[in-house]
Amino acid sequence: MSNSIALAGYSFTVEKEVEVSGEDLGLLQEKLLQLNWGVQHPASGPMRLKLWVDGDEVVKVDPDIGYVLRLLEKLVEYRTWINAIVNVERACFIDNFGTMTGYSIAAEKIAGVEVPKKADYVRTMLCEAGRIVSHLIGLGSFIGVLGVHTPMQWALIAREKFLDAFEVYSGQRIATASIVPGGVRYEPTGKFIEKMVHAVDYLEREFIPRYGEVFIDNPTLKLRTKGVGVVSKEKAIQLGLAGPALRASGVASDIRKDYPYAAYGELDFRVVTREEGDAYARYLVIWEELVESAKIIRQAIEGLPEGDYRTKFPVKVPEGEAYVNVEWARGCFGFHLVSKGGTGPYRLKMRAPSFANLWAMPEMMKGVKLADVPVIFASLYMCHGDIDR
Amino acid sequence: MAWFKAIVFPGFLFLLVVFLMIFYLERKVLADAHLRIGPFYVGKWGLLQTTADVFKLLQKEFVIQKRANKLLFSLIPFVAFLMVAMLIAFIPFSENWYIVSTSFDLLIILALVTGMPPVFFYAGWASKSKYSFIGGLRAVNQMISGEIPLWLSALAAAVFYGTLNHVKIVESSSFLSFLILLPAFLIFVTAVLVVTDRPPFDIPEAEQEIVYGFMTEFGGFNYAILAVAKLVELFALFSVATVLFLGGFKGPILPGIIWFFLKVFVLYLFTFVVRASTPRIRMDQLLRFCWKVLTPLALLNLAFVILIKMFIS
Repeated sequence: MSNSIALAGYSFTVEKEVEVSGEDLGLLQEKLLQLNWGVQHPASGPMRLKLWVDGDEVVKVDPDIGYVLRLLEKLVEYRTWINAIVNVERACFIDNFGTMTGYSIAAEKIAGVEVPKKADYVRTMLCEAGRIVSHLIGLGSFIGVLGVHTPMQWALIAREKFLDAFEVYSGQRIATASIVPGGVRYEPTGKFIEKMVHAVDYLEREFIPRYGEVFIDNPTLKLRTKGVGVVSKEKAIQLGLAGPALRASGVASDIRKDYPYAAYGELDFRVVTREEGDAYARYLVIWEELVESAKIIRQAIEGLPEGDYRTKFPVKVPEGEAYVNVEWARGCFGFHLVSKGGTGPYRLKMRAPSFANLWAMPEMMKGVKLADVPVIFASLYMCHGDIDR
Repeated sequence: MAWFKAIVFPGFLFLLVVFLMIFYLERKVLADAHLRIGPFYVGKWGLLQTTADVFKLLQKEFVIQKRANKLLFSLIPFVAFLMVAMLIAFIPFSENWYIVSTSFDLLIILALVTGMPPVFFYAGWASKSKYSFIGGLRAVNQMISGEIPLWLSALAAAVFYGTLNHVKIVESSSFLSFLILLPAFLIFVTAVLVVTDRPPFDIPEAEQEIVYGFMTEFGGFNYAILAVAKLVELFALFSVATVLFLGGFKGPILPGIIWFFLKVFVLYLFTFVVRASTPRIRMDQLLRFCWKVLTPLALLNLAFVILIKMFIS
């Protein structure tokens, strides 16, 4: 062979013998085609789905994860209480405010620190902005798997405005590291508020009408997504779905309403639910939550109290443990934080919503068409960083 | 003069420029729908961007997968290109600018288009890759279902004009013929989208399911040729639509060739807008649509045109 790899002196053995046993052997003996949907695949992201297909029908799905494992939970143990937010926010780069808030609340619970009211409001504002950013990408990538790239581009333009606001606030556009135990890191300046209002204005006046006109009541989209990957209410609870996927099945589960944290208890908003439980319902839940989040940001800006934005957080935190749930963009994110009286966390366990959704997926994909695999995958609204952590 | 026509003016070189421009316009129109700018830096207004892309493909390494059927794999792109390049010879761009004109123009074009599915299937089969194989099967499945309405709606025009010669068809077309053949035109354009797997019917190369369908394993020059073959097929079928239903090169003031390309461009614009706004449909939905909606409609339309023809002549 005279290709560049051979010329460089490397040689490969292409065929590799693999021992197959158990159920997989049975599937192979039935002459089913095994497709690798990932790791290098246009729509999969850094994970692999082993698909066994019989013609156009999916027989079995086996997710293979771990390609973006960064051991965040372990890394936190080597940090101080404040520093640890850098690892926590990297659970998923798209919405990092939710995870930082959850960790900070857990740390404050152990230390017994009371957060100023202003910090609560800024946290709420940032969390909702993060949710909007995440939902915008969720909407774009949902239609993106159906071969239309327009929504993603429109969503990214709307997202840019929020990133501008984050940049003014913290100096960073994505990994802001701006919510710390004891409050928030920076004063919410007038410039930041102005940018945030501008971003919400753009979202409500430009993005939502334009997008809603074309991509919400779209007949072809309905044809493709209605009745695909249906999960009933009982089944959704049994499978342990989280976030928009759970609410699309008719379960009004929202930590912001059920166990209010930050300033959510004082603000007025609605929990979006749908009864159908199919891919289209999950898409609509994400869409309607955008509007609700924009409303919350406006209320939080109006009600922003005067005062301190941060209190002193002790270097050494007394022994104890806390479990805190927050409603992150992709669902209920749990933090189990343990302190042994040191300068940093002793152990942190993160309960990730995407991980829960991922293991509900093989059940939902049984017997669907091959073309529905990316639709169901995108509709469950998962983040790869969050699955592996 | 014949060689000049075949190689330079309505022939090879001219069409190469036309394809680069169509590709450029597609990117610009899509970018406009996306609220982006699109190609910008290479050449004035990014005009040379597509040329640069093609040259990049030409200098790439020629990779053949170890398990692939080497002869078939390297031959298929050229076979595909030859088959569609022949289509161009029968298209009259204006009164005098065509390469060949016979009494069977339309028949030859439809026959060659019908010959494309096996070529694409072999492209997938020879690659010996799972994605390519599924893509090849899907291509055959889809194109066969699309070709029947394509034939039936083109036949409606042939019945109406009473000839298969493109130049004669254009000469005898009028506003009345446009109105009578309007349903046939709509069916024809839809069928063209199915046959050439353009969005929303791009199922054989559905990126998110089977990577790139039967073109997955092709790279560099082979890929460029195969991709151009698909573009030429679309261009030829849109030209046929222009000739049959839109009056070809006829039009006031401007020269015929400009009218011809204006009409073709309007059809292209339609496909770009569809591409920017319509999600891909599923194989079973496509088959149901083709066999239960498009084919019966095309049959009814043929009957309608025959009825009209009875009274006109």
